[in-house]
Amino acid sequence: MTATRILLALAGIGVGCYGAVLLLELPTATVVRVLTWAVVAVVIHDLAFAPLCAAVGLAGGRLLPSRWRSPLAVAALCSVVLVLLAVPVYGKPGLRPDNPTVLDRDYPLGLLSALAVVWLCVPVYLLLRRLPVRQNQVVDRQGAHDVEREPPTV
Amino acid sequence: MTTLRGTAVTARVGVALGLAVAVCFVTGLLSHFIQHPQPWFAWPTRPVWLYRVTQGLHVASGIAAIPLVVVKLWSVWPKLFQRPVIGGPVRLLERGSILVLVASILFELTTGLLNIAQWYVFEFYFPPAHYAMAYVAAGAVLVHLAVKLPIVRRALGEPVDDVTDGVHVGPNRRTVLRGTWLAVAAATVVTAGQTVPVLRRVSVLAPRSGEGPQGVPVNRSAIAAGVLATARSPRYRLTVTNGARSRAFTVDDLRALPQATYRLPIACVEGWSAEAEWTGVVLVDLLAAVAGSPDADVRMVSLEAPGPYSRTVLPARHARDPQTLIALQLNGETLNLDHGYPCRLIAPSRPGVLQTKWLSRIEVLP
Repeated sequence: MTATRILLALAGIGVGCYGAVLLLELPTATVVRVLTWAVVAVVIHDLAFAPLCAAVGLAGGRLLPSRWRSPLAVAALCSVVLVLLAVPVYGKPGLRPDNPTVLDRDYPLGLLSALAVVWLCVPVYLLLRRLPVRQNQVVDRQGAHDVEREPPTV
Repeated sequence: MTTLRGTAVTARVGVALGLAVAVCFVTGLLSHFIQHPQPWFAWPTRPVWLYRVTQGLHVASGIAAIPLVVVKLWSVWPKLFQRPVIGGPVRLLERGSILVLVASILFELTTGLLNIAQWYVFEFYFPPAHYAMAYVAAGAVLVHLAVKLPIVRRALGEPVDDVTDGVHVGPNRRTVLRGTWLAVAAATVVTAGQTVPVLRRVSVLAPRSGEGPQGVPVNRSAIAAGVLATARSPRYRLTVTNGARSRAFTVDDLRALPQATYRLPIACVEGWSAEAEWTGVVLVDLLAAVAGSPDADVRMVSLEAPGPYSRTVLPARHARDPQTLIALQLNGETLNLDHGYPCRLIAPSRPGVLQTKWLSRIEVLP
């Protein structure tokens, strides 16, 4: 494994340095914008997006009944992803009058519908959980050590 | 209270993210080398939908990586605040490599997502920056894998949840993983319809609905290309040259030549694609008029003023393909001005940006 790791690291450094060389061949103004964009993306994620998600998660964990938490957490994650994907299309900032074939959907309606579907799945899931499908739940709650005894030899 | 974060989650989501990044990187390189031909690289003309699939995968894997990155960074976020903040040189190196990794991946995913929506808010020319940073990201992923390999292997061999967690009600790590796969599925379904026709109606966040003149979307309009007058001019001629030999064709001349019809996809680098029925003159027949060699590359020159995509070189392999057309019709109608009237190139398995529109000259290269 050590050899694999050394090879991976060397390949990684080589490929990464090639990227750095390609980047530095671009005009200086471009390089500055690229690096600024990359660093700002990290800062926005680490110091705004992640804390916000963590705070919502923490509040949800405290305030919500434990039975609801799983489907709500999954719905929240899906919603976050849908909102991120909607950012570049929602207000159609890239729209140009000469080409009506780009950004040609009703994105507010689209986002709303997608979110509605996601959140409708929550009560549906909770209702389905109440159906008597106990066998699955039993299996779900078993750990790796819950092994039935070997049947007796005949 | 169970801890949802943990190496079990990080490693599993990391493997999925690694796969998505690998697919994205390789398909991106293919697209780059098709557009910037290299002597050691040859791109086949069959199957005709090959580029449609690779570029569709490029955008789809990039979009699938977004939820994976969100969850993966969530799973390790508290490590950001671990003490000591700086530590020794080894720790500094590790933190530095992670910064490069996260920054380059976020750069690639955000600029790619904005670019397919044609929102050029980053204010730099997209392709070379996206290309250069792809290597930085790929290199950082490899270094990260080298550092974490033993931890990843151990984590994948262990159960996802603590065994003592058996009677726990509420989300556990398995929930996190299931939620992640669901989020990947949701992200794919709401965007992939711009290249997977069956998903078109449900892809509510795709930058394109797939609609357009004659049933095909447009990337560069005739207005943007500035060809409104020249394309419709009665003095329009398509000139085909091979060294000193030269032939000029009016639109009627082209229509009088034997016509062929093929169903070929047009696949944009931005990840949308559409199949359509193209009718026109087989390029080989046109090149025969100037005794063009089947082993020669061919330059396509547009009426559009010189720019990055107004002249392209068609490799000999594509030029001699019997399905490569100089199209005059699209889906049974005279080519729409936005689709390249009077005539355009349509070749199998090529990026849309190289399917030159509003052709004015075809030059057999020596």
